[in-house]
Amino acid sequence: MIAESDLVSQLKDSNTQSKAFEVLVNTYKQRLYWHIRGIVLNHDDADDVLQNTFIKIYKNIIGFKGESKLYSWMYRIATNEALSFLKKKSKKQGISNEELQNQALDNLQADVYFEGDEIQLKLQKAIATLPEKQKLIFNMKYFQELKYEEISDILETSVGGLKASYHLATKKIEAYLKDD
Amino acid sequence: MEDLNKNNPFKTPEGYFENFTDGLMDKLNEEKFNLPKVDGFVVPDDYFDDLHKIIQGKLSEETKVVQLHPYRKYYLAAASIAAIAVIFLGFNWNNTGEITFEDLANIDIENYFESNDLGLTTYEIAEVLPIDELEINDILENQFDEENVIDYLNDNVDDIEDLNLEDYE
Repeated sequence: MIAESDLVSQLKDSNTQSKAFEVLVNTYKQRLYWHIRGIVLNHDDADDVLQNTFIKIYKNIIGFKGESKLYSWMYRIATNEALSFLKKKSKKQGISNEELQNQALDNLQADVYFEGDEIQLKLQKAIATLPEKQKLIFNMKYFQELKYEEISDILETSVGGLKASYHLATKKIEAYLKDD
Repeated sequence: MEDLNKNNPFKTPEGYFENFTDGLMDKLNEEKFNLPKVDGFVVPDDYFDDLHKIIQGKLSEETKVVQLHPYRKYYLAAASIAAIAVIFLGFNWNNTGEITFEDLANIDIENYFESNDLGLTTYEIAEVLPIDELEINDILENQFDEENVIDYLNDNVDDIEDLNLEDYE
């Protein structure tokens, strides 16, 4: 696998940019997709956001200074894109973010690209009750199995803070599932 | 007795307290979370296979659009200016209500004071202006050098020595 710094240099060089971009997309498309999908829930929305994320990465790579790791930078772009996509969508429909999320959860049952059983659906509903940041942390740690250090780089939060947030999130989810 | 208490012989491993909270949170998070580890989301068949081509296609489409409409941004800027002018004029034509003090822009008030004699004595002005809180630079639009002040005084004051400037150095 190509080293991150080499890939960045190739992305900044117009002679190698196209090939390097292909490598970048193929390396990170799945990881970024599942990260985005956990936020927007629906495949079509995740596809839109993923494409926009890569387009943003392509256009802004020239300004990437390497102060953080490339994957953290891309995850950050993907997170921002997904959250602003939801905000725009709720504004367009004239409903709140929570209402939009409930709508997406209701649609999951009929979604051909959701094969979860009853407990998986309940888990998604429980995750939806978490504050935005806890939701991100839970998804990144539990489903994507990222290391705390990686999440810390992406969300620019201390590892200690992340551990506490993750603990709180799991407790809240457990409590929600018990009450339900 | 006091000395005994002060010289605590017990030690902790290096960084013990710094890492204590972290370690505790790790232990708490190790507790089994009895839920499915997969989220149930799936993607259409072969979705990831063609993704790169789709994104490349979108990028070249964007480039084409820019080449076909090189003056689009100028048209948009012109349209925005025209729209603002229409709204402004429309607002003024329809605004038949009585004008209040709040309707005046600050610049209009300043212009009025500049071009009209206020008819207030310096004492009256002093009563309404919080002189104590004012700095010279709050009043002056452009700061000037000390050198310029000396030049001005040299040109305009008959005997600069009368000002006793050295007393204030």
